[in-house]
Amino acid sequence: MKIFKALNTSVGKKIAMAITGLSLALFMVFHLIGNLNLFLGPEAFNGYVLKLKKLGFLIRIAEAGLLSFVLIHVYSGIVLWLKNKRAISKTPSYSITSTPRASRYTLLTGSFVFIFLVMHWSTFWYKFNFSKGNKTYYEIVLGPEVGFGNIYYTLFYIIAIGLLGYHLKHGFDSAGQTLAIKGTKYEKTYYSLAAVFWFWIPFGFISIPVYFGIILRLLG
Amino acid sequence: MNINLNIWRQTKESTAGKFVRYRLENIDPNISFLEMLDILNNKLIKEKQEPVVFDHDCREGICGSCGFMINGQPHGPQKATTVCQLHMRAFQNEDELTLEPFRAASFPVIKDLSVDRRSFDRIILSGGYVDINTGEAPEANLIKVPKTNADEAFLSAACIGCGACVAACKNSSAMLFTSSKISHLSLLPQGKKEAKERVLKMVATMDDEGFGSCTNTGACSAECPKEISQANIVRLNKELIKSVID
Repeated sequence: MKIFKALNTSVGKKIAMAITGLSLALFMVFHLIGNLNLFLGPEAFNGYVLKLKKLGFLIRIAEAGLLSFVLIHVYSGIVLWLKNKRAISKTPSYSITSTPRASRYTLLTGSFVFIFLVMHWSTFWYKFNFSKGNKTYYEIVLGPEVGFGNIYYTLFYIIAIGLLGYHLKHGFDSAGQTLAIKGTKYEKTYYSLAAVFWFWIPFGFISIPVYFGIILRLLG
Repeated sequence: MNINLNIWRQTKESTAGKFVRYRLENIDPNISFLEMLDILNNKLIKEKQEPVVFDHDCREGICGSCGFMINGQPHGPQKATTVCQLHMRAFQNEDELTLEPFRAASFPVIKDLSVDRRSFDRIILSGGYVDINTGEAPEANLIKVPKTNADEAFLSAACIGCGACVAACKNSSAMLFTSSKISHLSLLPQGKKEAKERVLKMVATMDDEGFGSCTNTGACSAECPKEISQANIVRLNKELIKSVID
């Protein structure tokens, strides 16, 4: 099969990374729209979560799809990183060539985001699905246990989303070339959209802990 | 002008190398960089020392034999210039110059500044053949090539395979080289027939030779003496996607 042959190459793995990465970024838009319901108050947010729950197994299928995309993205990233490490000379070079920081730290920012994701699943996702108790969803998210009532969790969340934005900065730039969008008539649209994804979407996510976890706390 | 050189001396891949300092005085600023090294080597031979090994052939910037790092830049500081076309007037009196071989795991050091770039030849070889008529030169107007394609193909074919792209890359990736070779064939009707197999085979060989992968930072194009553009890498990616879809 040609597709397996292609996926076996470094370029094929980069294409897989680009497709899974862009899809996950697209998912972030829907996730953010849901999160912004928090600003509309407890009824709006709890109602939104219940609406999602009603979709039942469709949600489970979507979750499985997202998880597999994350795993493909992480796997390809690590394989390529190891390959790159082997490719460079053992003797370090005196070099003045400077590559963009966002590109050099992609694995590092990605690893941090992955740790964040695992925590995110084991807190919000797990509690929403299995150990809600008698609290509402709104109370869990803003509560002191795992939510934005906890200052450490709030700060961790802000840093992680900030790093995710930085991760996407290089990700979108690179994916444009990997998926051969550069040089076509879609290039301009794509790169304008990229700024929305690496800056405005993370900004939207961060606005929630900043408002509920920091501003409201300071106001008492 | 006087020049201070720190040159990487290494007898073979398996032994450790080190920088050795040399000083040359009263160098004519209008001689080429390689002529300056010739003068150094003449001096070293007279002093019964080992001359510095470096690759060169045409000294006209078209064969791709020469190339090493000068102060961390492949082929030195002058844009779009191979080291053989670089002149001493590009530097200042009493400059400190650090000369190193192109460093990459796939470019083992032969000696001093000379590296083994046969991995590039093997990438080319895996591309297979091109349909060409080996008889008389065919009538040029029989195969019609759009002017834009002919120009683009020419720009890609301008790659001399020196390896500066690999040396400039933080991942020692050979994507710019491989993509320019794939591009100039896939843009022309003569190269279209084997295009799909060619891209898969050449990329697989590039991986097998141990080159890193591309992170699309563009350092290669910035340092390329022939200014091969990133558009070639885009074209390689497109060719690989096409080879799977069609």
